[in-house]
Amino acid sequence: MRREFLKQSVALGALAMLGGARSAAAADPVTMWHIFGAETEPGLKNITRWNETHPDQPIDQKFVPFGQLSQQLIKGIATGDVPDLITIDNPVVASFATQGALEDLTDLVKASSFIKPDEYYPGSWATTLWDGKQYAVPGEANTLALYYNADMFKARGLDPEAPPRTWEALRKAAEILTDKDKNVFGMAFCAIQSEEGTFQFLPFLQQSGATLKTLTSPDAVAALQLWTDFVAKGQASRDVLVKRQFEMTSSWLAGASGMVVSGPWELQRMKEVKFNWRVAPLPHREGKGIEASALGGYVWGVPKGARNKAAAFKVIEFMSEPAQMLQAWSGGRLAPVKTMQVEHPAMPEAYATFRKQMEVARPRGPHPRWPDISAAMQTAIQEALTGKSTPEAALQKASRVITPILDRTPIVGL
Amino acid sequence: MKGHQRLRWERALDSEAIWPLMAGFGALYLAFFVGYPVIYNLIMSVQQVTLGNISTVFRPFVGLDNYRKLVDDPLFATVFQNTLIFVTGNVALQFLGGLALALFFQAAFPGAAFFRGMILAGWILPPLVIGAVWKWLLASDNGVINYALRGLGIVSGPIYWLSDPATSLIGVTFANVWFGVPFNMILLAAGLAGLPQDMYEAAALDGAGPVRRFFALTLPMLQPTIYALLALTTIYTMRAFDLIWTMTHGGPVDSSNIFPVWSYHLSFELFDFGGGAAVSTMMLVVVFIVALIYVRSVRTERVS
Amino acid sequence: MRRWLLTAIGAVIAGFYLFPVYWMYASALKVSDELNANPPTLIPHAPTLAAFRWIFERENIAQFMANSLVLSGSVTILTLVLATGAAYSLARKKSVWMDVVLIGVMLSQVLPPPLLVTPMFVIFRQLGLINTQLAVILATTTKTLPFAIVMLRTTFAQVPVDLEDAARVDGSSRTMAFLRITLPLARIGYIVIGALVFLLAYGEFVYPVSLLSKKALQPATVGLYGFVGADYSDWGNAMAFASVFVTPVIIVFMLLQRRIVSGLTAGALK
Repeated sequence: MRREFLKQSVALGALAMLGGARSAAAADPVTMWHIFGAETEPGLKNITRWNETHPDQPIDQKFVPFGQLSQQLIKGIATGDVPDLITIDNPVVASFATQGALEDLTDLVKASSFIKPDEYYPGSWATTLWDGKQYAVPGEANTLALYYNADMFKARGLDPEAPPRTWEALRKAAEILTDKDKNVFGMAFCAIQSEEGTFQFLPFLQQSGATLKTLTSPDAVAALQLWTDFVAKGQASRDVLVKRQFEMTSSWLAGASGMVVSGPWELQRMKEVKFNWRVAPLPHREGKGIEASALGGYVWGVPKGARNKAAAFKVIEFMSEPAQMLQAWSGGRLAPVKTMQVEHPAMPEAYATFRKQMEVARPRGPHPRWPDISAAMQTAIQEALTGKSTPEAALQKASRVITPILDRTPIVGL
Repeated sequence: MKGHQRLRWERALDSEAIWPLMAGFGALYLAFFVGYPVIYNLIMSVQQVTLGNISTVFRPFVGLDNYRKLVDDPLFATVFQNTLIFVTGNVALQFLGGLALALFFQAAFPGAAFFRGMILAGWILPPLVIGAVWKWLLASDNGVINYALRGLGIVSGPIYWLSDPATSLIGVTFANVWFGVPFNMILLAAGLAGLPQDMYEAAALDGAGPVRRFFALTLPMLQPTIYALLALTTIYTMRAFDLIWTMTHGGPVDSSNIFPVWSYHLSFELFDFGGGAAVSTMMLVVVFIVALIYVRSVRTERVS
Repeated sequence: MRRWLLTAIGAVIAGFYLFPVYWMYASALKVSDELNANPPTLIPHAPTLAAFRWIFERENIAQFMANSLVLSGSVTILTLVLATGAAYSLARKKSVWMDVVLIGVMLSQVLPPPLLVTPMFVIFRQLGLINTQLAVILATTTKTLPFAIVMLRTTFAQVPVDLEDAARVDGSSRTMAFLRITLPLARIGYIVIGALVFLLAYGEFVYPVSLLSKKALQPATVGLYGFVGADYSDWGNAMAFASVFVTPVIIVFMLLQRRIVSGLTAGALK
């Protein structure tokens, strides 16, 4: 190893000596940290495309596992060692932005001929703004819908062409599909103690007519009651409390549930499914008629102190061109731009459904203390679902945490 | 001249000065690479640290506010209790399990070494994989463990190992004990192998049975290994993180949340760096006490 | 007869114990919808090597493995070298200073790597070692060294001082007595502790992912985390990857185990 190290040092020294002569022609890379782990990620393909077309300014990329993203960015900020460009999970943009950890991109975006705010889905675009300034640009988007097992629907006497459109219909379908002898649950969703749990619950809260500001309202209670009932009546597995979204979908794939709430990222493995399946928009609450879904996906940000802001923005623009953005669908994600549409998409019905859900997908926050808000919501959901407290009491407790946070800094438009 | 130098060299190698010199290398290494990070965390724990000021060292001093906030947090009691149960349960079960297996495989039977080697495989799996596999095994609806228990008629309905707040800590303890037993076993086996056989022979001639010999000879002679293992296992369990993170994320309702999980959650999910550092300082205090006890045991160690 | 009964019991214990390991291999061979089948299938119905093919074709596993081996091999050597002196003096010399060292050694391993890595990064940048495997080796050694010191100390403590004293009466220096008498007698300890250090280093994830940015330098643990995405984890392929990752090590350890045992039967300390 020591020899390896020496070799490296010698090589570095030699490079440094050559440096003077070579620097004029040398490539000036844009450094990027990203979450594209699997070799099939469309993001990787797009990086390759950039590198092929921009040999003078290649992307020097580093993969950071999703779970490590915040930790690595924090380490980067703390040590001043940041990349020029990074993918950020959209709900934490405001946290990083308010603390001055991200470069202000407002002027660059205004001057851009590629990036036009009004062409983006409003939910997606909202996640990149804080205090009227632009701190990021949406990279790709995802949202939630209701997957269901059409064969099971038929076998239980439900019409596979008419998925539940209201909460009442959803309750009914969950009851009918549940088969305790066969260990089949009617409904599945994710209520884990992590951001994923909040992500899945918020649409139901919004459909109820409540918001994070009215958590003690009967509407909010009704939303949590809906989830609680599924578990209490044995129509959803108690494992919703610890399983992640894809794990709940795995159970659904294995026939353990009739329906599951999940996102387009699951579509990649739907090719192998042995039963007939469909995906429908999330239902709405009768009497309210509010359509709502969740908004996920990463955004592009330029960390404060990046050496190559201008070049980084050029990469963002490149990644925002239709040719690159529409790649997202091959990885089970959507382009965050509503004017862009894949021409002959794989799984056209699913594509249409998810695009429709994108129209009503609402951002989480944006709020600099979103993680605290989300943690309080997770606790409320879990307390109600485990029966530790009633939905009412659980939401009241959450409200005592969330209301002061929102009083100090409100969420725009809430 | 040459002889004189040789003598000096010999004397240097023989002198008392070699002790601090030998200890110094390892100690300085750790002090250099870990000392600064530990102090860095201690400082953060008495400061108000945000993403905005994390890159400088000169952050607002808040005294013990971070600690006070933690202790006032209703979660503190839960996390403290969970940590206590998790650590005690793990240390006891890992040690006893390891000792039982080490003794069993010490017996001379065909394949003993082979099977003991195989058991070490449990310790080789990456924590991510152990977490994922155990999450499958413990799943309430299609988990193998429930399936077996029901098949054997031991239980009638599914046990919600991980999703019931009453059992989730037991579930993650299972997985962590499984992970730690081979480590204990192999070190105890090595310790057992180092014991002088002639004393056993003498004791056997005196008519001491296997149980007497175990308590009168094995345990006392194994004492250094045992204390070292207990201390190490305590520390490793104190900082166990990956397994719980993969299996339950600390839930449901924080029923499997322990100090390292909480510290990580505070620092890297809530961006409360002062709070996260304060939790880790509390872990340091606990381990300091463990280390003191251990050092005492070393002091009283009988020199063979 | 009784010996074979013990063998049978041993086989049952090992079999039972290794079930999760079996599950990893079985999962790697299953098609994806069988992974979560209800009821679970103990033996893959339609075993497929698709996941393994994927791993070898799409992921550069050879590179990952090579990096893992280089890292953990180097960490093992560095750790044992550094630990020897400290462990030996801690075993032989009782003083307040030695107590302080021992407590310091224990404390140094409490904080989890995610909390340590940021300040460590600063140190390595000062040393100009960012993006070198040397940085990861040095960082990982801080994790393995305390363990090795504590366990080697007990190993040395078990070697009778009389043997060294006898050597010193014969004219050896303290140091030579240690090298000629104690060190050879502690070989079982070295093998076992070295093996465990190797494994600890083999599984390290946080340091490499934080200190290295080139994929070509990353160990297999980082590759493994590539399967755990934001909203989707590819467990089938992850299990295949993990199988490839651990199998060579398991085999080496089975072989090594035999050596340890031959050391045992030869009468370790005599």
